[in-house]
Amino acid sequence: MKHTRLFGGLAAATVAAAALMPAAVAAQDGYTIGFSNPGGVGNGWREEMICSAKAEALASGEVTGMNIIHRNTDAAGQLEDIRSLISAGVDAIVVNPADYEALNPALQEAADAGIVVVAVDAPVSQPTAYNLSNNQEEYAYLGATWLFEQLGGKGNVVEMRGIPGHPADTDRHEGFQRALAEHPEIVVVKEVSTNWDPATGAQQITDILNAGTQVDGVWTSGIDSWIVDAFITAGAPLVPIVGADNSGFVTQLLTTEGLVGAAVTNPGSVGGAGVRLAIHLLDGMAAGYEPGPEGTILLDPQLWTNATEEGKAALAGAADPSLDPSWPLGLSIPDWTTYTKEQLLACKAPGEA
Amino acid sequence: MTEHLLEATGVVKRYGGVTALRGASLAVRPGEVHALLGANGAGKSTLIKILTGTVRPDSGSFRVGGTERTIRSAAEARAVGLASIYQDPSVIPDLDVRDNLRLTRTPLDAFRGWMAELGIPDLPLDVLSRDLPLPTLRIVDLARALAAEPQVLILDETTAALPADLTERVLEVVGRQRDHGRAVIFISHRLIEISTLCDRATVLRDGQTVGVVPIEPGAEDRIVALMLGPQAERPETERATGPVAAGIVGAALLGAEAGPGGADAGPAPTAAAAPGELRLAARGIGAGSRLHDVSLELRAGEVLGVVALEGQGQEELFETLAGARRPTAGTIEVDGRPVRFHHPADAIRAGVVLVPADRLQALLPQRSVRENVALPFSAPFRRWGLRRGAEEPRKVSAAIERLQVDTRAQAEVRRLSGGNQQKVTIARWVALGVRTLLCFDPTRGIDIRTKRQIYALLRELADQGAAVLLYTSELEEIRLACDRVVVIFGGRVVDVMDAALADEPTLLRAAYALPPDAPLPVLDEAAS
Amino acid sequence: MSAPAVAAPAARPGIGRTIARNQWVVGLYLLLAALLAFTFLIKPGYGPADIESLAISVLPIVFAAAAQAVIVIAGGIDLSIGSLMALTNVVAAALMAQSGEVGAVGVVLLVLILGTLLGAVNGILVVVSRVPDIVVTLAMSFVWAGAALLVLGSPGGSAAAWFMALADGTFLIEWLPRAFVTMVVVLAVIWIPLRRSRLGLSLYAVGSDRVAALRSGVPIGRTKIAAYAIGGLLAGIGGLSLSMSTGIGLPVPGPYTLGGVAAIVLGGVSLAGGRGGLMGPVAAAFILALIRLDLVFLGVTSDYSQVIQGVVLVLVVMIGGLVELRRRRA
Repeated sequence: MKHTRLFGGLAAATVAAAALMPAAVAAQDGYTIGFSNPGGVGNGWREEMICSAKAEALASGEVTGMNIIHRNTDAAGQLEDIRSLISAGVDAIVVNPADYEALNPALQEAADAGIVVVAVDAPVSQPTAYNLSNNQEEYAYLGATWLFEQLGGKGNVVEMRGIPGHPADTDRHEGFQRALAEHPEIVVVKEVSTNWDPATGAQQITDILNAGTQVDGVWTSGIDSWIVDAFITAGAPLVPIVGADNSGFVTQLLTTEGLVGAAVTNPGSVGGAGVRLAIHLLDGMAAGYEPGPEGTILLDPQLWTNATEEGKAALAGAADPSLDPSWPLGLSIPDWTTYTKEQLLACKAPGEA
Repeated sequence: MTEHLLEATGVVKRYGGVTALRGASLAVRPGEVHALLGANGAGKSTLIKILTGTVRPDSGSFRVGGTERTIRSAAEARAVGLASIYQDPSVIPDLDVRDNLRLTRTPLDAFRGWMAELGIPDLPLDVLSRDLPLPTLRIVDLARALAAEPQVLILDETTAALPADLTERVLEVVGRQRDHGRAVIFISHRLIEISTLCDRATVLRDGQTVGVVPIEPGAEDRIVALMLGPQAERPETERATGPVAAGIVGAALLGAEAGPGGADAGPAPTAAAAPGELRLAARGIGAGSRLHDVSLELRAGEVLGVVALEGQGQEELFETLAGARRPTAGTIEVDGRPVRFHHPADAIRAGVVLVPADRLQALLPQRSVRENVALPFSAPFRRWGLRRGAEEPRKVSAAIERLQVDTRAQAEVRRLSGGNQQKVTIARWVALGVRTLLCFDPTRGIDIRTKRQIYALLRELADQGAAVLLYTSELEEIRLACDRVVVIFGGRVVDVMDAALADEPTLLRAAYALPPDAPLPVLDEAAS
Repeated sequence: MSAPAVAAPAARPGIGRTIARNQWVVGLYLLLAALLAFTFLIKPGYGPADIESLAISVLPIVFAAAAQAVIVIAGGIDLSIGSLMALTNVVAAALMAQSGEVGAVGVVLLVLILGTLLGAVNGILVVVSRVPDIVVTLAMSFVWAGAALLVLGSPGGSAAAWFMALADGTFLIEWLPRAFVTMVVVLAVIWIPLRRSRLGLSLYAVGSDRVAALRSGVPIGRTKIAAYAIGGLLAGIGGLSLSMSTGIGLPVPGPYTLGGVAAIVLGGVSLAGGRGGLMGPVAAAFILALIRLDLVFLGVTSDYSQVIQGVVLVLVVMIGGLVELRRRRA
């Protein structure tokens, strides 16, 4: 039975390796915080969210370890991840939920185990969990209203959405519709789903331009600088474009000749804010915060446009060419994050070398 | 007239444009062992596939035990009483013996009984078939077929790879079937077995039944004549070019063994009057279960022919010599030094290359003639992959020119005719200066004019000092192209002869390991 | 070849031979035991609740692997398993939202039939079109995924309480999660009769050696369609297990196609067909989940964790290949 022996050997080697490894998650005095993110590995916004969570944990001085599960999976996979964090014995779990309802079984188990749960970026329906999100409805309303006003309340626009069915996309679409209802002479000539994928979005706008459709303005759900590039590549005259506070787009707003546009903030640092809320709750400072979807704390977006001097100043203040162009520039959230920019860029959790 | 147990008439089968069977018939009586014979490509295997339900005929009628039947699947064939044993056992390798029996609904007790009869009484049934040795699997296959009590048992080359003691038992069982008033259809390249075992033989040629011959002393000659067809239609062919065969006795044969049944093969090693130095020698090489102990010597300036029936080990021989297969016994020598080929690249480096029957195996069909010819120059085994400046294009052009390749379709090799494709494969090796060519059936499916050009080319290359080993499935080609010929049967060399004396009947007899005496009687088509 | 050589396998007694034939699976369960021991070692508090979490977590991947295993054993491969699971999941969730507790029984039966039919469609397309399995099922994966979005544009629907309870809590003793019992019962009810039937034998026959199967009287096309249909049934159960664990329907396919392939490869199912069973892939699914869990316990960053999982998969399969090679040479 050579076979069996080999397997035994493998197992023994694993055990030996583990013995040599320092126990990374050891809750001594401070808190251990788990973080579960089920998608967008390699996406600038999600990476910034993770780094801000780490930086906030470090800056707080109250956290001794973080346990981050950051992989592409579905709601069922995230259920497994949350349960793994429960088994790992963390004090609080911050999740970017894959779904509004689907995580509830595991979130209930967390509550039963006395673990604080904070959902960031999108809410969950679990009544024991706290929610803290960017106000996505407002994000779209703010940007769309600016665009429609810029066009004088009249013209053809393209709505470039994200992933159909995604809660943030649904909310943003609602905000867009609210702004549209207030501007009856604006016509949506094309509504497309970019899936938040740069290549997809660029192809879609190129197709629309090639079809000869009259386009007076473009609203995007975050695939922004690639749309500007597509206009330039196609040799089409630039029209007002609304995007997010992605570093690349902000740079374009400051430097691209003839581009009029607006960046709406959608800070990835909501991850850090979630960690801050979790620490508050662990410290017993729960006053003023309500669990459940009704108690959702909404972070309102800001709009920076290069059409006004004031907006230009805001853009210039936020711009940082050294950042990855896909990172959002809302690096910190007043009242919610306490880390420095250096801590954020270092992207190290407490105890991480 | 005896009632026939199995009667197939007017069987037609086309594969696309190719007609494999054009009205073949076969009638088997109860209590007889009936041989089904035919040269390569005569349609034997297609007829068997139809009888066993794995191929559906385009037309034809089948009567089993006097009743009209259709055979649409292997299960149906078994249900009407036809069971067959193939060269490769039809046993599922990943199921154990018991599950294999269940799959075919074989009664266990009957199977056990036959296993005991066949000399393996104690085979455990829970062994995975893939873990059983091949001869055991063949016996399992046979016992399973017999357990179904078939009216007609079809043995397709079953004895080819059996050890002698098991062969004996199989033949015993065949005899017993006959005694019980059942029938056996027997397909074998061993004419010796056929003459001792069979009662009658049906001979196929070009997809048609050309005769039914009772097996009696002297029947072999009639069978061979039927397989060859009327000789008068075939014009006596002259050797394309090159010196007289007698002048170039280049092949020497070492230690070849006599064929089964003590056939008078008696190949005398002929080293006399060798014109060129020894290029490639095989010394007792064996490979797998098909090739045993083959020795031959190939000299510069000669074309040595190889003749064999299907599956006698010739593929293995060529693959082994070309480095595509490792020999399990014996050694290969190049220029008198023993070599070990781990990969075809090793053989090519030693100047030994294979020209396969399937041209497209050796070519890049979508690239140009020039690129294909130039390919070996830039192949990675050339030092650092550097191309050799001006020398290469010159050599390539010279090679293409020399071969008279029709270059109108230069852009893509796949648009060339088969013959021109084959010329390109040869051209590239010529360009590289290869000195030993192993040509495996290079003219398969090529028109007669190009065929002759290829023979002439091989001849010319030999005259310029190359050594050529040529296997061909078309016996009449031997005299056109070769100086000498070795005959292989059952993985061994059974005969070696001067190509000038190697007419088709002689070669066919030799290929069946029959004694070379007795002139062939001329038969008419309506024999028997 | 002499008589003793022919009879050589008789030398080993029956039980020994059974173990020898299933070496790979035995090895996997030993590896699983070792991993569990390792988990208790690094996490002394690891207890019944954690085992329960593990069991419910592996449920969808186990069924995805079982579905893939049946098809691969028959010489095919189905890249639409993940999409089939999404489609059956949303159909179950959408219907259960209206059916009520008792009606949910009918919904479960309906979804099982639906899964079987959709799988059969895959099989029929593969057999009739003669296009390679991998191409047909890749194309169908988009069709099923699109259909799932048509049924539910965004996550929604619900699941009956009794249905979710099938995967929740424990059975008789606290160390036996109900999800595990459900899994074992479902797989046993499908697999054991199948394995013993002629259809089961035919699946192995077709995957192992088509020509020999044809000559043994196995209807190749029908067997392959049956394999895809059974695969569809198991994928349907996988979709139901998603309902069981999340309580809703998720229209976007999860990572179950490739996850299932990884589990069957580690589980000893030959991608060439004809070899393997369900015991191995089930163990493999648990092993892969436990490795993930242990890496969380050890605080290994997710990126490294993925690399480690991949390396373990390659290593184990490679070692298995080497052992097999040595056994054949011996």
